[in-house]
Amino acid sequence: MNLLLLIPLLPLVGFLINGIGFKHIPKSLVGVIGSVGPVVAFILSIYAFGAFRAGNNAPVIIQLFDWITVGTLNISFSFQIDQLSLLMLLVVTGVGSLIHIYSIGYMSHDAGFGKFFAFLNLFLFFMLLLVMGSNYVIMFIGWEGVGLCSYLLIGFWNKVTNYNNAARKAFIMNRIGDLGFLLGIFLIIQTFGTVEYLPVFEKAVGMSVGDSAIAAITLLLFVGAMGKSAQIPLYTWLPDAMAGPTPVSALIHAATMVTAGIYMVVRSNVLYALAPDTLEIVAIIGLATALMAASIGLFQNDIKKVLAYSTVSQLGYMFMALGVAAYSSAMFHVITHAFFKALLFLGAGSVIHAMSDEQDIRNMGGLRKKLPITFLTFLIATIAISGIPPFAGFFSKDEILAHVYEHNKLMWALGVLGSIMTSFYMFRLLFLTFFGDFRGTHEQAHHLHESPISMTLPLMVLAVLSVVGGFMNVPHVLGGHSALATFMDPLFANAQRANPALFEHGHLDHSTEYLLMGVSVGAALLAMGAAYVLFISKKNVPAADGQESGLQKVIYNKYYVDEFYEAIFVNPMRKLSDALYSFGEFIVDGLVKGAGGLVKLSSGQLRQLQTGETGFYVFAMVVGITALLLWNFGAIIFK
Amino acid sequence: MLSIILLSIFGIVVLFLGFQKSKNILLPATLLCIAIAFAANFVHWNDAPGLYFKEMLFENRLTMSFSAIVLLSAFLVVALTRGFADDEAAQPAEYYAIILFSLVGAIMMIGFDNLIMLFLGVEILSVSMYVLTGSDKRNLRSNEAALKYFLMGAFATGIMLFGIALLYGATGSFNLTDIRGYVGTNSFSISTLLYVGLLLVLIGMLFKVSAAPFHFWTPDVYDGAPTVFTAFMSTIVKTAGFAAIYRLLSGSFEGIYNFWWFTLAAITILTLVVGNITAVYQQSFKRMMAYSSISHAGYLLLSLTAMTAQTPDAIVFYSLAYSLATVSAFGVLMAVAREKSVQSHENAEDFEAFNGLGKRNPLLAFVLTVSMLSLAGIPLTAGFWGKFFIFGTIVERGNLIWMLIVAILMSAVGIYYYFKVIIATYMKDGETGALRVPPFYRIVLIVSTTLTLLFGLIPKLLS
Repeated sequence: MNLLLLIPLLPLVGFLINGIGFKHIPKSLVGVIGSVGPVVAFILSIYAFGAFRAGNNAPVIIQLFDWITVGTLNISFSFQIDQLSLLMLLVVTGVGSLIHIYSIGYMSHDAGFGKFFAFLNLFLFFMLLLVMGSNYVIMFIGWEGVGLCSYLLIGFWNKVTNYNNAARKAFIMNRIGDLGFLLGIFLIIQTFGTVEYLPVFEKAVGMSVGDSAIAAITLLLFVGAMGKSAQIPLYTWLPDAMAGPTPVSALIHAATMVTAGIYMVVRSNVLYALAPDTLEIVAIIGLATALMAASIGLFQNDIKKVLAYSTVSQLGYMFMALGVAAYSSAMFHVITHAFFKALLFLGAGSVIHAMSDEQDIRNMGGLRKKLPITFLTFLIATIAISGIPPFAGFFSKDEILAHVYEHNKLMWALGVLGSIMTSFYMFRLLFLTFFGDFRGTHEQAHHLHESPISMTLPLMVLAVLSVVGGFMNVPHVLGGHSALATFMDPLFANAQRANPALFEHGHLDHSTEYLLMGVSVGAALLAMGAAYVLFISKKNVPAADGQESGLQKVIYNKYYVDEFYEAIFVNPMRKLSDALYSFGEFIVDGLVKGAGGLVKLSSGQLRQLQTGETGFYVFAMVVGITALLLWNFGAIIFK
Repeated sequence: MLSIILLSIFGIVVLFLGFQKSKNILLPATLLCIAIAFAANFVHWNDAPGLYFKEMLFENRLTMSFSAIVLLSAFLVVALTRGFADDEAAQPAEYYAIILFSLVGAIMMIGFDNLIMLFLGVEILSVSMYVLTGSDKRNLRSNEAALKYFLMGAFATGIMLFGIALLYGATGSFNLTDIRGYVGTNSFSISTLLYVGLLLVLIGMLFKVSAAPFHFWTPDVYDGAPTVFTAFMSTIVKTAGFAAIYRLLSGSFEGIYNFWWFTLAAITILTLVVGNITAVYQQSFKRMMAYSSISHAGYLLLSLTAMTAQTPDAIVFYSLAYSLATVSAFGVLMAVAREKSVQSHENAEDFEAFNGLGKRNPLLAFVLTVSMLSLAGIPLTAGFWGKFFIFGTIVERGNLIWMLIVAILMSAVGIYYYFKVIIATYMKDGETGALRVPPFYRIVLIVSTTLTLLFGLIPKLLS
C-alpha cells in the first residue's frame, strides 16, 4: 500500500520541478512534466481501488509519522484509504489528468505556461491531501492549500486589476468559511480529544441525538463548507472566480475543489446524523442556493458565468441531498457533475479559444459547423446536466429528488422547479452559442477553428463519461443494483447505528418512483422546448447591457447581492477600520513605541557594563557569587 | 564510548598528517574522522544504558543524542574552515587536531558519571578553546580575547574545582550515583558543605555556558575569536555544557530540587533579560550573536529549572535547532566578511555587511533569513518547536508560569534584533555585484538550512 504515498507526491514533484525550473525547462517539456504526475497518480488510484475491493473493505490507515504531540493530543500525519477517499481520488486524479492534458493546448500561447502547470500541480497535491488525510487537521491543510492555489490561479493573469480583485474576493470569502471550519476542529478536539476520523466517529456513536456540542461542531463545519462550496451566503466569489483561465474553472471551480465541502460533510456523516437540526439547515440552504443560482443563470450572457451559476446551483442540489441524509446520492452527483461540468467548462474553453477570447454568447452563434467536436460534446453535457435519460445527470439528480420527496414534498417541488430552470438556461446557452447565425465580428469569423487534439481528446473522454457515468448507480426500480450506493454503504454504518431513525423511511413504491422520474424528465424536456422556441424559432438574442427591465434587471444583476454585501459589510468595516486606525495611531503606536524605547534605553544602559576590562568582569563575577552565597546561606552565616 | 577513543586516535593521526607538504588533505581527513566518530557514536544505540571505564563514563540514548549534536555541529563548522590553510603562517594540522581533542572533552562532559571526568572534560574543552580563540596570531583582538577567556576561565575552573572538593568532603565520593545515594538517605541531615559545593560547581558550569552574571567574557571573546571558532564555541561548548549541567542536576541532586531551583530561576531570568536587552543595541553582528547566545542559554536554563520528564528531550531539540541556525548564521557572515575584508580592512562584521545581500546572493540571503527566523522562534523552523518544547516543560512544572511570561516577553525583544538582520538583507541597499560563494560553503549552508526547515515541519523526526 506504500505506493499510495506516490499519489500526492507525484504532483508535488511536478510542482517543484516546474516551479523551480520554469525559466529553464523548454516549453515542450513543461506540459509533459506537469501531466505525467496526475496521469500516473490516476493509474495508481485505479490500482488502489482494485486492491481495496479485493481486500475486506475496511479502512486502511497509512501512518507516515506523528506530527504534533501536545499534552494528550496527538496529531499524526497519516492517510486513510476507504470507499470515500478512493472515489474522490479517482475523480480528482482522473478529471485532473484530463484537464492537465487539455491545458497543454489551451495555455500554449500563454507567457506563464510553466507557472500555470506548477500551480495546477500544487493544487492537485493539496486536493489529494484533503481527500486522503485521516484526520481533520490534514484535511484542513489540504483545504487551505487548495484555497491558496485557487487564489493564485484566479489571479493568474495578475496584470488585470479586476482579476486580482476576484482572486482576493475568493480568498476572503473562503477565509470566513475557514474560520468556521477551524473553530469546528477546535471543538472536535475539545469534545473528543482527537482529530482522527475513526476514533472521533467511534466515540460519537455513543452520544445522543441532538447533542449540543455535536450540533455546534456540525454547524461550524458547515460554515466551512459554505465558503468552499459556494453556498448562500458565501457563494458570490465563485462566479467572479471565472476570471481565472478556463481549465482552472473546470478543475478547481467545478469538478474538484468546490466539492470539498460535500466531501467533508459525507466524511463527517456520523456527526451530521446526530444533528438533525443542522441537516435541516443544510437542506434549506442547499435548496435556496440551487434555486437562486439557477434563476440568476437564466439571464447571464457570459458563457462562463452561466456555467458558474450552474455550478453553484448543482452544489446546492448536493447539499440538499446531504440535508436529507442521502449521502451516497450526493457523492453520486459529485461524480457525475465532475464529468459533465468539467466537460462544459472545457467545451466553453474550446469556444473561447476559437473565438479569440470572446466570452459573450450574444456575439456567438452558429458555431456547430466550425467546431463539430466541441459542439457534439457540449450537447452531450447539456443533455446530461438537464437530467434527460439515459445520460449521467439524470440518474444522480433523480436519485436526489427521490430522497427529497421522501423527506418533504414541497422541497421536492421546488427542486423540480430548479431543474426546469437548469434545463432552460443550459439549452439557452447551447442554442445561442452553437445554433443560428454567427453574430461576432468579421475577424473572429475568420479565425474560427476546431481546437487541437490535446484539447478535443479530453472533451471526448469526458463526453463518454457523461453518457455512461450514470450507469454506475442504476436504481433497483430501473433494473439496476445501485452499485455505487452498495459500495459506499460501509461508510454510513456508524451513522445508522447512531441515529437509526434518520434512515428509516418508508420506501417509495415503484409506481411513485416512475411518476417522479416522469415529472422531472417531462419538466426538463418542456424547458428545453421553451428554449428552442425562444432562441431558435424566434431567434431571440438577449438585450444589450443596461436594457433589461423589471425583474429581469434585478436577476441579471444577481439580485444585487454583491452591492448588498458591499453596503452592509464592506463599507461599515472600512469605516470602522478607518476609525480604529486613527485611534490606533495614537494609542497603540504610542504604547508600542514606548515599550520599544524603554528596551532601547535599558539596552544602552546595560551595554555600559561591558567595559572590556578583565578586572571588572572578575569583580562582577565575584559580586554574583557572593550574592548567591548570601542568598542561600545568609541565614547560616548571620545566625 | 567508541567515539572518544576514535577521536583521540584521530587527533594524533591528524597531527602526523601535518608533517606532509600538502595541507590540502587535512580538511577532508578531519571531516572523515568526525564522520566516523559520528557513526561510531550510534553503535550502542539499541543497547541498554551502560557504564564504562570503571563507572567513570555513562552512555544512554540521551548522551548519544547530545554527542550526535556536538559531532554534527563540529562537522558543519569544520567544513566551513575551508581556506583556513591558505594563510602561510597558519599551522592547520595543529588546529584540526585541537578541534578533534576538544570534541573528546565535549563528549566526556556529556557522558560523565564521575565528577573527575566532568572536570577533565571541561578542562580539555576549555583549554582547546583558549588556543583556538587565539589562533589568529597576528590579530591583536584575537590575542586579547584568548587571554581574557583564559584568565576568566581559570577563575571559573578554580571555583568549580573547589565545589567538587566540597562535594567530595560532604559525601566521600566523586561518583554521581553515590552522591545521589547520599542525598537520598540523609535527606534530613545533609551537610551544608554539599549545598555550597553544588552551588560552586553550578557557578563554574554556568560560566562555561555564559549565563549572567558570569557572561561578561562572552561578547569580547566571541567578537575577538576568528568567526569559525566563534561558531564552534557557541554550538559545541554550549551543547556540551548544558548536557553536563543536566546530567549533574538530574543525576545527583533531584532530591534537593527545592534548594537549587530558585537560584537557577534567578539566574535564568537575569540571563534572559541581559542577553536579549543588550543585544538590541549592538552594531556588530558577531557581538549581537554573542548576546543572542547568552539569551539562548537563558531559554535552555528555563527548561533545566523546570526539570520535568520532558526536559531532556526539550534540551536536545533546542540545542540541535540552535546549533543548526547558529552554524548557518556564522557561515553566511564568513562568506560575506571574507569578500569584504579582501576589499577593505574596515570592520566587516557589522550589520551593514548584509545590506543588499538579497540581490547579491539570494541563496545566502535565504539561508540567513531562515537562520534568523529559527533563532527568533518563528513557526515552520526548528527554532519554533525548540522554544515550544522548552516552554512546554515550564507549563508542565506548573508553578513557574511567571518565568514563562518573562521568557515570552524577552523572545519578543529578540525578534527586534533578529529581524534587523533580515531587513538589512532585503530592504537596504548595499554594494552591488554578485557575491561568489565557494561550493563547500554552499553545501554546508544548504544542509543546515534544510535540516532547520525539515525539523520545523516535522519536529517528530527526532525521536
